Amino acid sequence: MFPNPTPTTFIMLILGVSTFIFIMLLPALLELKRPKDAGPRMIADDANFTQPKIRNMPIVNVEEEQGFDQILIKRIADVIAVLPNLEV
Amino acid sequence: MITEILETLFLILTALMAAYLIRHYIFTLTVLKGTPKSSKAVAIGNTTYLPTVSILVPARNEEKVVGRILQRMTELTYPKDKMQIIVIDDASTDNTGEIAEQYSSMYDHIKVVHRDEKEGGKGKTSALNAGFKHAKGEIIFCFDADYYPQRDILEKLAKEFADPKVGVVQGRITVLNEPQNVVTRLVALERIGGYRIDQQARDSLGLITQFGGTVGGVRRSLLKRLGGWDESILAEDTDLTFRVYLAGYKVRYVNDAESYEEAVESWRAYWKQRYRWAKGHMQCAFKHWFKVLRSNNLGLKEKIDGLLLLNVYFMPVFVLLSWIVGVPLFFLRPLPWFGLFWAFAPISLYSFVGNFAPFFEVGIGAYLDGRTRAQWLIPLLIFTFLYNIPICTKALTDLLLSKIKRKNSNHWTKTAHSGNGNAYIAI
Repeated sequence: MFPNPTPTTFIMLILGVSTFIFIMLLPALLELKRPKDAGPRMIADDANFTQPKIRNMPIVNVEEEQGFDQILIKRIADVIAVLPNLEV
Repeated sequence: MITEILETLFLILTALMAAYLIRHYIFTLTVLKGTPKSSKAVAIGNTTYLPTVSILVPARNEEKVVGRILQRMTELTYPKDKMQIIVIDDASTDNTGEIAEQYSSMYDHIKVVHRDEKEGGKGKTSALNAGFKHAKGEIIFCFDADYYPQRDILEKLAKEFADPKVGVVQGRITVLNEPQNVVTRLVALERIGGYRIDQQARDSLGLITQFGGTVGGVRRSLLKRLGGWDESILAEDTDLTFRVYLAGYKVRYVNDAESYEEAVESWRAYWKQRYRWAKGHMQCAFKHWFKVLRSNNLGLKEKIDGLLLLNVYFMPVFVLLSWIVGVPLFFLRPLPWFGLFWAFAPISLYSFVGNFAPFFEVGIGAYLDGRTRAQWLIPLLIFTFLYNIPICTKALTDLLLSKIKRKNSNHWTKTAHSGNGNAYIAI
């Protein structure tokens, strides 16, 4: 790597590596010395979480979902239809 | 001849490091571009699904923090009639049991399971299995005693179980005591990379999303079928993750379901915690490697990611090995530039990239969180990376020795919590 190494070469190498490490770590050292980060990260509760989701739920056919007897329901509906109107 | 052998070994190690490098680039770019989830997942996630839940809180000598999480549990917005909280007082010698009993006497849905020194103190998995026997909910959630979740976290996590293929759901972990010292700050950065990018990307790409053992839940029926937690494994979370995938189920990650944790505060505590993680993870690798390869429930990309995930704690050991191999190659090779390449390739390929949460991954995670100033600390992660080399090497050596001696040395070293995070809750 170094064909004719001299003491100056080694001094330059050590200085170069040290400078590189110092420059690399400088921002971290500055942040540790005088922290400006707003941590810890604030985790927020989403108070309106449940309500909008319920509003967005699709309206389902309850009779079909719960497996009601459709023929029976139709017969009851027919009976109700021929009953006299009780409203005044 | 020796040179050729060393070169071959070095090339294999370098290829492995390159594979992780590519994997993490894909993860980071995926999250940065905001890859949408599958349409099916979005449709299911939009409905409200509130199953009955049991929350397990294992606690051994946690008097400084157990009151904090139990207070928070009483503040959760999830319907109380659908929620059961089980504190497992795992043979504590401090006031953990008394504090839990106080909450239990005030709230009907909080139950305390006391374990004496004879049956308790065998580790988290043993405590979880003890709590599981009393759990009645459809979903079993786990929260460590030092955690402090959002009030609506259960709604956010539980809704994912509307999809019957989802076996486990995992939320995000954020460090509470971050400003405390340099260790907590670096752990916080690791968490940002690990959850904000790594977990999110794996979920978005349909890879192996990992259950973290806390801030998450598992379907009760599935856990029962799997026989509960495996008490012989130190990384019960990774073990459960793979058993769930191998059983044909998925793990989902919900980034906006967040909980604080109290991070380790000293390098010594960091060593103990990571040593347990590393050894447990390596146990999982030995246990699941061939099962993952042979599984019919996993696709090709899941298999590749699964194997990379299983091997992740071996990587610091491989880095050390590559340095050991690289130095003789440096002197054996006639061309100086070639020697330089061999010596520095593993450093540039892997040390610069890191192992668990690479530098650029942490940087992008902090950027997405709006934490640009926290990015200034990223160069210090080189020290946690270097620290992980002896940790993982010792873990592997101990594991191999215990296998040779056929002696189970899987002693669970508990992470002590000081309760210093309480100061930040008041804010």
